Amino acid sequence: MIILKREMNRNMKALIIWTLVISGITILNLMMFPEVAEQQSAIDQLIKQMPESLIKAFGMDRLSMADPLGYYATKGYIMIILFGSIYAVMLAGNMLSKEHNEKTIEFILSKPITRSGIVTQKLLAVFINLLIFNLAITAANYLGFRMADAEFDMNIFLLLSVAPFLLHLVFASISFLLSSQMKKSRNIVSISLGLVFVMYFIDIMSSISGELENLKYVTPYEYVDAVEIVINKSINTTYLGIMAGVISLCALASYLIYRRRDIAV
Amino acid sequence: MAVIELQKLTKYYGKHRGIKNITFDIKEGEIFGFIGPNGAGKSTTIRTLLNFIYPSGGKAFIFGKDVVKDSLAIRRDIGYLPSEVYYYDDMRVSDLLRYSQAFYKKENSRKMKELADRLDLNLNKKIEDLSFGNKKKVGIIQAMLHEPKLLILDEPTGGLDPLIRNAFFELLKEENDRGATIFFSSHILSEVESMCSRVAIIKEGELIKVETIENLIREQFKKVTITFSSQKGKTFKIEGGKKPEWSGNTLQLLYRGEMKNMLQKLNEAEVKDLLIEEPSLDEVFMHYYEH
Repeated sequence: MIILKREMNRNMKALIIWTLVISGITILNLMMFPEVAEQQSAIDQLIKQMPESLIKAFGMDRLSMADPLGYYATKGYIMIILFGSIYAVMLAGNMLSKEHNEKTIEFILSKPITRSGIVTQKLLAVFINLLIFNLAITAANYLGFRMADAEFDMNIFLLLSVAPFLLHLVFASISFLLSSQMKKSRNIVSISLGLVFVMYFIDIMSSISGELENLKYVTPYEYVDAVEIVINKSINTTYLGIMAGVISLCALASYLIYRRRDIAV
Repeated sequence: MAVIELQKLTKYYGKHRGIKNITFDIKEGEIFGFIGPNGAGKSTTIRTLLNFIYPSGGKAFIFGKDVVKDSLAIRRDIGYLPSEVYYYDDMRVSDLLRYSQAFYKKENSRKMKELADRLDLNLNKKIEDLSFGNKKKVGIIQAMLHEPKLLILDEPTGGLDPLIRNAFFELLKEENDRGATIFFSSHILSEVESMCSRVAIIKEGELIKVETIENLIREQFKKVTITFSSQKGKTFKIEGGKKPEWSGNTLQLLYRGEMKNMLQKLNEAEVKDLLIEEPSLDEVFMHYYEH
């Protein structure tokens, strides 16, 4: 696990910065909750003034901002799924390709380690970094709810913490798969960032417009939709299956592709 | 026993030629040179041996093991120095060397210090602050540190100054005395000459010849450029001279034979200027093609 150790060290700074920023924003967000809850009637008035599509896009038609989880699901959650996915693709996209970009891969490959060993350790590094990131944010969230003195259902809170982690793993595995074949980190990160944003756009579109509703099945944001999770008190099992499938297929394909790839710097 | 064995090894990059039907072998304890001009396929051959790239045809064995199937086992006993070394900029030299050793589960900081001293390399410097030559030294040390049975060195001397080059050759001799087989590529003939027992010559992806250094030197010729002070020089002729080319009063030829004879001849002529040099590899190859 020499490479894993090295990758943990190398990515620590980015992990700390991303964790601090995202959890800072969520805590700040939650600290505003008591005020929002107090002025609920005023805010309901305000929301009614907003365009209907905007209300739908954030699920505010189905959840009350006066409920702490409802508030979180419509406001803070988006930061974690969107910005967290950006972090995830940048982390995973650079994991293998950085060695190719900086031509250090010849050094690693001349050491007694198999290609699969390299992929395993790099994948583990992605997984562990994302796990720490999500655990830290969950802890910050919990702290935020406590500070806001809010009552909430712990099960739903945990579901809302696991779901973003799964989404991050989905995007990370796609990005990692790209890097098992492509050489330039820049292109890999561009493509996967594009995917993160396009999918988000599709998710918004499908929730606004009835005609585009079926589009929602192609975007992983739909699979971890906070409003659905709060209302149903569970994550849809079909969606769980799709996400697990995408993650394992991408990981498996990364092994197969990387093992057969010609590596010339 | 053959440490390295290539059997019709072939590599195509799509339709582009890499190497074609390369066959030779290297015995245990040999210092074996691999020469050819840039782009001839030296690095392609080496990368195939290390399984960085997969062969399109033929086979290769190291320590009797298949380079594709048993690559992991093979690499435990290999030290490799690439022609261009790239390391992690955020590391110090000692970090990199420790990282390298961790893969072999061997840590020998005394040898690390000793090698760094002999090559005049500061272990505490950051990799990103190193010059090309100094990075090469890091490469040499990481290739030797775990006392491999086989050293594969791709153009190892590029960027090294003459003093360090000598220290490096000394290290190679010691590794060889210890029992290590050494396979190194170069496009400088004289360098290979001083170190190797045998050489393989490659051009445009094809093996031209495997030759002992003795034979190579016996057949070796010099490129001689003579400028005469007058037209009288035009009568100059020498046995062993080949391909004479005149431009004005300047004669250029390839000479193979006793240097003494050449000097005597020159002494009799009115020589204004004289240049005796190693022929370029291309000229050496021309020679081999003619045979």
